Amino acid sequence: MGKRQFRGAENGDGPRKRQRVVHEAPTSEVIHTSRQLRQLLAFDPDLGHSRHGLQSFKILLDSLLARDDETDNAEKRQQHEQRFTIIKEYLQSTKPIEDDESATYLPDIMQTWSHAGQVNNENLLSAVPVVLALLLKLLSQSLELTPIGLGICRTLLQKRQQELISRSLSADKGKAFIISPTLRMLREAVCFDGGAIARPMFRARASMLKSLARNMGIVHIGEEPEDIKKPSPRTNALQFFLSAIKYLHPEAKKELLAQRDVVTALTRDIKQDQPYLVLDLLNGLRDHVLLDSKVPREAKSNLLNSTTLIKISGLYYYRLVSDNLPSIPDAAHDFLMTACTNPSCGVLRQDTGLYPREADPNAAIPSADLEELGLEAIVWMNKFKTEVPVRNFVLSNLLQNLRPWSSLKQSELITSIFKVAPELIADFFIKNKSFTFEPKLSATWIGYAAFLFNTVALPLPEYFCRGSGYAELPPPTSIVMDNILPLPLNQKALSRCLTNKSRMISFFATRILILAVQKLDTAVKMHQDPAHSSKSHNNQTLWTEAARRLVDEFCQRSPGIKEMINAYRSIPEDDLLHREAASQLLRLYYEVIPQVALMAKFDVSPLLETALKRLSTQERQKETDSQEDGSENDPRDFALSLKELENLLAIAGYSPGMRWFAATEQLTLSPFTTLLKVYVEAPSGVSLAPVRQVLHFVAAEQQVVPAKDKGHPGISVLLESFKELQTSSPACVAVLWPFLDKCLTRCTTAPVKYLEMLQDLGAKGAEDEVLTVSPLVAAIIEQLPFAAKAADSKSTLDGLSRFLPRFLGYSAAAGESKPLLEAAYASMSKHFAKGLGKSLSVPKKHPFKQPKGGKSTGTKSQDTNNTTSEGKKIKSGDDIAALNSDQLERVLDLPDSLAADNSALVKWQSKSVDELVDEGYAISLISLLASEHASIRKEALINILKMASKVQQSEYEEKEQIWLLLSELAETAKVAAASQPVSAVAPLPSTIIAFACHAVNVLRDPTHSLYPKVNSFLTRGPFWSVDRVPLADEVLSEEPAAGDSYYAQLNWLLAYLLDGLRTSKDLELFHKKRAKGPLFERLLAVAGNPYMRTPLKIQVIRILYRATKIEEGSTTLVTRFGVVSWLEELLKMKKSLSPMAQSQGGGAGTGTVVTTEDEVAVYKGLLKRIWETCDRERVEGWSKGGVEGVIA
Amino acid sequence: MSDSKPKSQQEVASEFTSYYLQRATKEFAEDLDKVRTADDFKNDAIHLLVNALQQGTALFSPEEQRRIVETAVEKK
Repeated sequence: MGKRQFRGAENGDGPRKRQRVVHEAPTSEVIHTSRQLRQLLAFDPDLGHSRHGLQSFKILLDSLLARDDETDNAEKRQQHEQRFTIIKEYLQSTKPIEDDESATYLPDIMQTWSHAGQVNNENLLSAVPVVLALLLKLLSQSLELTPIGLGICRTLLQKRQQELISRSLSADKGKAFIISPTLRMLREAVCFDGGAIARPMFRARASMLKSLARNMGIVHIGEEPEDIKKPSPRTNALQFFLSAIKYLHPEAKKELLAQRDVVTALTRDIKQDQPYLVLDLLNGLRDHVLLDSKVPREAKSNLLNSTTLIKISGLYYYRLVSDNLPSIPDAAHDFLMTACTNPSCGVLRQDTGLYPREADPNAAIPSADLEELGLEAIVWMNKFKTEVPVRNFVLSNLLQNLRPWSSLKQSELITSIFKVAPELIADFFIKNKSFTFEPKLSATWIGYAAFLFNTVALPLPEYFCRGSGYAELPPPTSIVMDNILPLPLNQKALSRCLTNKSRMISFFATRILILAVQKLDTAVKMHQDPAHSSKSHNNQTLWTEAARRLVDEFCQRSPGIKEMINAYRSIPEDDLLHREAASQLLRLYYEVIPQVALMAKFDVSPLLETALKRLSTQERQKETDSQEDGSENDPRDFALSLKELENLLAIAGYSPGMRWFAATEQLTLSPFTTLLKVYVEAPSGVSLAPVRQVLHFVAAEQQVVPAKDKGHPGISVLLESFKELQTSSPACVAVLWPFLDKCLTRCTTAPVKYLEMLQDLGAKGAEDEVLTVSPLVAAIIEQLPFAAKAADSKSTLDGLSRFLPRFLGYSAAAGESKPLLEAAYASMSKHFAKGLGKSLSVPKKHPFKQPKGGKSTGTKSQDTNNTTSEGKKIKSGDDIAALNSDQLERVLDLPDSLAADNSALVKWQSKSVDELVDEGYAISLISLLASEHASIRKEALINILKMASKVQQSEYEEKEQIWLLLSELAETAKVAAASQPVSAVAPLPSTIIAFACHAVNVLRDPTHSLYPKVNSFLTRGPFWSVDRVPLADEVLSEEPAAGDSYYAQLNWLLAYLLDGLRTSKDLELFHKKRAKGPLFERLLAVAGNPYMRTPLKIQVIRILYRATKIEEGSTTLVTRFGVVSWLEELLKMKKSLSPMAQSQGGGAGTGTVVTTEDEVAVYKGLLKRIWETCDRERVEGWSKGGVEGVIA
Repeated sequence: MSDSKPKSQQEVASEFTSYYLQRATKEFAEDLDKVRTADDFKNDAIHLLVNALQQGTALFSPEEQRRIVETAVEKK
């Protein structure tokens, strides 16, 4: 009935006239009694009268709701009391007799409302819900009247009222004066008595929630902000929705949230909402949906779809501020943090870490395929470079709408999401192509750099797949890479950052790279986890291959080591933080990817010297400062510089050719003595454990102190005597350095000489005793006469007269031979006018058993550290297990670089000469000369000649040399072939081919230390002797010519020899008798060099390992070169040396050899391997059972 | 010498952070001035900048931080 009239009202003329009535103010009167109220509200067909009654009632209700018991005075309170009684009496008098579901409360008002509906009176249609909303609000505050309130609510659920509500809710958009009070009334009803009728109300949702979404869209219009007392239908609708969501049961919530239009409308206009409303909405949704564990996940997902999340993320830019409310951007951030990172909120889905959605990490792949194709057998391995299918697509959408570079909070949100959904890292940067890392000194670039820093700092997902163990197959390399160095951090951008004129940009890039290398290290270690081999052999190889790929890709994406070195060199002296970071980065390269680091031929000594010099200067400054005001110099700066020094010392340990005992232009003293000086003169409170460790290592390695295995505390003797002297008379110490430096340097150049001197000093035949006394003592005796003659002899002798008794005393306390020391003391004493005193001042307390007593100021902290460094028992080597064959293979077996790739025959033709030389096409072609097929070799030869002429005709800078190399190689091949029968031309020896390949790399770089040698070799004649090993003599026995490049040249030679040892014919060349001895013999001698660094030594071991793979190789090594006893000697040598890098963790099992333990394990593994592969009968016969005894 | 009571890790971290920031602002003073005059430098950019600078403290282990901070303690 009502509906029809309503429709008529829209079309006819009548309602339009009535619309104007809206503005007529209703009349009212003051109510004194309940009776009067009842009369006023009694149904009256006269609409004006009804409106008068309702308005009077409204005023009464308003006054009661406005009361404030705390501030109102007694009179007012009494007035309120009376007014409330009027209402109470009225309600009780109109209460239906039978209180059941169908009973109608407030029958008069309901009838008025119904009548208003029939005649379509909008004033009344608005006035009734206004009054009912107020009344319900009032009743909700009174326990006594709650039953009546509930009755009224139930009345609203009756059919007639439902129809009216439905009609009012769907009134014309412009009729806010009807819609808003109806929503308010519903809100009061749904909240009433703790949501007592929320359930039946939801059952009647067809009318109660009518047009809810539409009403949420009726926003306040106008320039003024919305008046809190006259809220818009949107505000009322949201408040009704929030109350409903609070009191509804979980199933109902689910159904409500399934209404898409409602969910969309919730946040569509959120940007314009008042702060209090936004807060209510965010808190309501969080408390009653997100964190309600009973609400099904599906419902939460419906609410938190991409649109909602993006709308809420728009609140990061919300500008309205309310004084006493928390900030909206902060609240939105908290909401999103909960919504996006808490898996129970329905947004976050469990992903499988670095394995994208379509990649099955445990897919079964036929082992034949795996063997043949390796990683290529996994179909998805290379699939995710441009697109990553993710499970968290909602979050993926959200992330693209955020701007981490301009807001800390957004950056935090993204990285928090990355942490719980690692699959999104690669996805985010693949999609977000627009933003590059091109350096620019702006807030945005810095923000982006900070965001990338945080991203790289995130740990890799556990086992890559976030499972309880590793999957069968390794994750896609590109995805792992994107996690280590996200796409914007490419080589070009990073290089430009490092070389940028703004040093801060370079600093930021350096810090990110440090994190990236550390992460790479973790990733590689995870790839090499022993767990992979426990499953099946195939997987281990796959993972190893993946690790190799990862390192390769990293090198392609990170800037070149040379750029890093140059960047480091260009940092000003005073930029300590920057210097520290740059040195740390280099150190990490040496530790994690030494193959790249060593390629740069970086000579660390000048930088080390600079750092040492700076530290000595800082010490001096400190002294002067403390005499003056002392405010300028921060001792923390010294500690920071020391960290840079530690990094450099570590690099020095890794790089070949560090000369510890050679004085340079920069320093008056040798690096070793300078380091000693830094240690002794360091300000108190600075921890010097790493410096001390290096001093120990170098001193033991250079045999300045007796071997450690006799229980000698090594360099500590010197350090402690100096420290003591430094405390008592620092001036004496300062004058001693030049003298000590001379003695130390002499000691290292001719240790045997001084041992003999000691022997002469002591009783004949007491060889054991001699060995326990430091050769330094003899050097001092020898140098004393010269010191006495020198210009500054007085001060030096004065200093020595204080130092020597202490030093020798400490030596005696350290367990050195006392008679010998006393003899030495006597002989020293002669050079002093007054002699040296009666006897050695042996410390009463044993200084090395309890050096922690804090004898000298400030040594406390370093000594505590010493307990770990020195106190650590040097493993005798006996308890270290040999590597098993798999591990040994991983450490020592390098792929055959001359392996034939026949496509090289064709590929080179389309390339420019630059590409041929620089990108390895020439090398691939040369390698084909080693092919087992005669036809391929022939083809290769022809192509090499063609290439030679192409090179010669080009503009390439080094064209002459490359042409010469190729032509001579071809000529050599021709000459060799001519000397053999036509039917059976054998390939050239691999050494010749490997030499040619490696020579190409020398020729393209004129700064290469071997450049002169290779050139002079090439100009010697038109072809090479195939029986000789090119350049072996030149490198092994001639002067290195270019500075201190001996070790670098050796490295080159060993690399080419390793590539050149493939067949039994090659093996012959290695053991053939030559003027300076067979090549093998010379290589073993080279590796016996105690100063040679581990990487080079391992290279020799690799050559031996390669030999064991060739028939008869092991037998030859044992019987002709005594390799078993050679390895035994190496093992013995290791036992007596203190390992510098011991604390840095072992890696032999994982493919790198860092520590002494690793080395020992490798040597033992090789021994085992040789025994397993040799002709045992022959070896046994040869050694009369000795070899077996050693191995067992 | 100051009191011998060892500092809590939190104290060390906060002291180290302030030292790190102090050093960084000294070393990059010129660049920081340039950033401040850049077009995109708005109100909250200062937080962004400070935050970005102090991230680097994460590259120092707690022991290293302590070592550096406690050097200052022993200052005579």
